[in-house]
Amino acid sequence: MIPGDPALTIAGVDAAESDIQAIRAKLGTDKPMLNQYLEWIWDVFRFDFGTSLTSGRPVSDLIMERFPLTLTLAVLGILLSIVIAIPLGVISAVRRWSFWDYLGMLFSQAGMAIPSFWLGILLLMLLSIKYRVFPLFGSGSINHLILPSISLGIARAAVLLRLTRASMVEELSKEYVITARAKGLTERMVNYKHALRNALLPVITIAGIQLGYMLGGAIIIEQVFSLPGLGRLFLFAVYQRDFPLIQGGVVFVAFVFSFINFAVDILYSVLNPKIRIS
Amino acid sequence: MKKSLFITLAVAMSVMLLTGIAGAKELNFALSGSPDSLDPHKTSGTLTFQTLKSVYDTLAEPDQTGKIVPALAEKWDISADGLTWTFTLRKGVVFHNNDKLTSQDVKATFERIQNKETGSPNANEFAPITSIETPDDTTVVLTLSAPSAPLLGTLASGWGAILPQSLIASNHDFAAEPVGTGPFKMTQWIRDGKIVLEKNKNYWMKGLPKLDKVTMHIIPERAVQVQGLISGQVDVSYLVDHEDEPLLNSSPDVEVNKVLTSLILVMPMNCSRPPLDNPKVRQAITHAIDKQKVLDVAHGGGKPIGTFMDYGNAYYKDFTDLYPYDPAKAKKLLAEAGVDKDREFEMFLPQNYPPHVKAGEIYQAMLTKVGLNVKIKLVDWSTWIGDVYKKAKYDFTVIGHTGKLDPNGTLANYGTVKRYVRWDNPKAAELIATAAKTDGFENRKKLYDQALQIMAEEAPFMYLGSSYRRIGTRKNVSDFRMTPSLDTFDFRWTDVK
Repeated sequence: MIPGDPALTIAGVDAAESDIQAIRAKLGTDKPMLNQYLEWIWDVFRFDFGTSLTSGRPVSDLIMERFPLTLTLAVLGILLSIVIAIPLGVISAVRRWSFWDYLGMLFSQAGMAIPSFWLGILLLMLLSIKYRVFPLFGSGSINHLILPSISLGIARAAVLLRLTRASMVEELSKEYVITARAKGLTERMVNYKHALRNALLPVITIAGIQLGYMLGGAIIIEQVFSLPGLGRLFLFAVYQRDFPLIQGGVVFVAFVFSFINFAVDILYSVLNPKIRIS
Repeated sequence: MKKSLFITLAVAMSVMLLTGIAGAKELNFALSGSPDSLDPHKTSGTLTFQTLKSVYDTLAEPDQTGKIVPALAEKWDISADGLTWTFTLRKGVVFHNNDKLTSQDVKATFERIQNKETGSPNANEFAPITSIETPDDTTVVLTLSAPSAPLLGTLASGWGAILPQSLIASNHDFAAEPVGTGPFKMTQWIRDGKIVLEKNKNYWMKGLPKLDKVTMHIIPERAVQVQGLISGQVDVSYLVDHEDEPLLNSSPDVEVNKVLTSLILVMPMNCSRPPLDNPKVRQAITHAIDKQKVLDVAHGGGKPIGTFMDYGNAYYKDFTDLYPYDPAKAKKLLAEAGVDKDREFEMFLPQNYPPHVKAGEIYQAMLTKVGLNVKIKLVDWSTWIGDVYKKAKYDFTVIGHTGKLDPNGTLANYGTVKRYVRWDNPKAAELIATAAKTDGFENRKKLYDQALQIMAEEAPFMYLGSSYRRIGTRKNVSDFRMTPSLDTFDFRWTDVK
């Protein structure tokens, strides 16, 4: 069990014992743990996630307030990483050991080695301080989300690029590719119509998982860019032992993750006729 | 002739309009975190009170010297026996929802705090009030069960904020939408994003506030606040780290002002655990610490204190010469007390306060030099409050106590085992309890002087000092104030050029 008592965090260090007890009674944290848990489960089945202990607001409101920002950031981040990773990955695989391949490898090594928060700070210094293209802090417009999504996207792009390249190389060495070439199809047809479609499946899976992670909030990036996203909401909930908010957050993230996985499965059948038929 | 007059008028009017728009004075303020709740009666969060100082008023308030002066109450009168307090309210004060302030609002507010269902962390401070009478619209009479000198400090603190009775009755959500009589109304709050305050044109202080709008941007990253100040996107940052000072000073547009905080920085020692139950051991430990050095390295400077009161407080008494830095003497005292060399001491440090962690690491090194075996344990804030502060499961810890408007807030219950240092000293406890019931500064100071002397001599804490706060402001900003002891932001006199 996590140590700490939310009533003490709310009451602060100077509160009298009687006041702390009144707060415990109000929050319901004076009841046995099992009772509290069963009550919470019962409420969750009726889609009631309870109220946050520290702010007194419904947990679902707090989450939905933050979700649009986190969603936009995650989608922008993943789109950016796909836009970078897939073309570069495919070129790297098709023209192995060419200049483009080395460039792609260099990018992917660097992207994986650079921590995204550090990249974020560099971007801020360059594009918000030296050249004032983007705002230094705040939220509310798409401009505020460009730099954070680049910081998030680059690291993901690095992973996806390697995966695309490896997957494409593997497909190109398979027998159906040889058959296709033997039929006299153009190199273009072989690469993009046949190999790429199959090569993309594992890439889509991993991109889906990464999108799921980002939808749970990006704590450090939110911190660097002063963004009110889900990551900071959940982080402070843990610090303050705001149990309903932590639990609501876990359920929400689990739900979003399952939904993304489901969506990826559907996408499979669009991309791969084999799955559609079976 | 007529035509030219018309043109002149038109020009004059458009000039007035233009200056009206151009003259809208806005301040961009950097806040380090987001308040959890904006209900002044349901939280103890510093950020909440810092924000709400601009939205709410209290019956009395501290002025810039820390003296308690009238605010919503024009004057008050305390009966000779100290049991009847009569407040006369200021006339013509209106809430942001246009309700007129009456004695009913004061009554409803205090009853809300006292109500168990509110769950106010400060209800106990209002416990001496047994009845609230409202003979007319501008008079409030409080009847007390016993004389209470600290009550005035409570009424002047953020948790004494007066709320409108009509909204209390309708169960308004004050946590999200504060409605007060203060100099600004809150018009927008994006959690972890920003808080927007707009001028209350009907504020009861004539000509104030000077600003039209204050935007509090919540910027958790220190470097971003600093760069915001330099580039002009932030006008005031109130928590500048001493390490950022040279960078800010090198900017021609920014100045950094250093003011002493009301913090009492200490290393508490658990007096219920041997050998720390021996005053000699605690004195030895106090001798082992170079206080000025720790202040300089961990806090960027400060004033040493020799007892449990902040340096700038009117009740402060100097005992810094009692146990000066002297490692040789520390070793000698420890040998005399017969401290076991193998005894392992646990020092708990709150990881969310980097200066305390840094100070703890220096303490460890200094204590090792005099032959003590100290192990550091980092804990998060909830664990610190629960295990260290409430259950006293520690040997040493490092913390800072914030100042209080009334010394009883700082000292109440010390000398009894209720407090986390578990220091049992009936004489000190008696002095502190008597002082709370005593009236008049001189009379109280005599009692507190004695209590503080016992606390200095017996050393349940190693007293470090009070540190500085550095406020970074753009040079076009004037008169940004912080309330003494309460550390809240006061934008009423603030102006931008």
